[in-house]
Amino acid sequence: MKQSKLTIWSRLLWMFLKVNLLSPSGPASIGLLYEEAVGKIMTEAQFVEAVGVSNVLPGSEALKLAMFVGFAAGGVPGMTAAILGAALPPTVMMFLLALVLQYFQKEEWLQKFVSGMSPAVAALMVMVAWDLFRAGSAKKINRRAALIAALSALALFFNLPSPLVLLGAGILGVILFR
Amino acid sequence: MSLFLQLFWVFVKVNLLSTSGPASVGLLYQEAVGKFVSDAQFVQAVGFSSVLPGSDALQLAMYIGYAAGGVAGGLVALAGSILPPTVIMMGVVFLLQRVRREAWVSSFVEGLAPAISVVILFSAWKIFERGGETGWLGWALGALSLAAMIFKAPARVIILVAGVAGILILR
Repeated sequence: MKQSKLTIWSRLLWMFLKVNLLSPSGPASIGLLYEEAVGKIMTEAQFVEAVGVSNVLPGSEALKLAMFVGFAAGGVPGMTAAILGAALPPTVMMFLLALVLQYFQKEEWLQKFVSGMSPAVAALMVMVAWDLFRAGSAKKINRRAALIAALSALALFFNLPSPLVLLGAGILGVILFR
Repeated sequence: MSLFLQLFWVFVKVNLLSTSGPASVGLLYQEAVGKFVSDAQFVQAVGFSSVLPGSDALQLAMYIGYAAGGVAGGLVALAGSILPPTVIMMGVVFLLQRVRREAWVSSFVEGLAPAISVVILFSAWKIFERGGETGWLGWALGALSLAAMIFKAPARVIILVAGVAGILILR
């Protein structure tokens, strides 16, 4: 890379601002990020590695990508710039929306809007759950994944706290998926 | 525990035990509703975070943190969401130089995935149940949304349309 450090940092900041303004969610931003980053500030191999590792770790997709791409391109300062770029647009927008919405919480139309949205949000969650389960069982771990799912359902049915259930499932994963 | 500490801890927990923004919704529902926000506010948070561009996880943190503790609450929730992955990432980045891939971390996440799906389903049911519209209109809206998503219609459009439909046809 022949560019000065400052250019790389401001490019990272700008790139992640742009990518996060234009994509609806973390996973959806990978394609756009590829176009923006590969060949300019990192190689394809570095990018594939960043996406691979960020899939393996827990946490928000968009942030993990920002951290890895930023770090690969510009070290810790690059990572900070990328995280800032990724975090600012969604949070500022949501903040403004929350500010506006609080004046309408008692309005009938907003309550109806939310009532109409609830079934759709529930449907969206069903889709997320299905995609997640399918992505996991694609790696020939069908039966084990189903076992973990069944055990989790049982535990939740008996009102065990969800963080505990998830932690247990992760530990079971470490034992089963060797 | 003070409100801010609680907020911080909930978001650290939720972000460590989920694989992506949308996947964190199930656990977040169990942890936040009744404590920081109402059901209706949670539906707004999830609905609008999928409508607005950018990371869902951060938008959820912002909305719920703000609803619970104002601007300071929002910032605390954000810090809780950003810190755990950052700290882990730093660790992994430095580890990667020696060990190519930490096998147990990936098995942990693989075991996590099916359980997350189940937690999400439980929360989805509660959201539907407490959304108020459990009559045939609610089921119809849910079924139509699900069908539209199966046929790859964008979620943000479906959620907006469902909300507008709610204004037009409910009661």
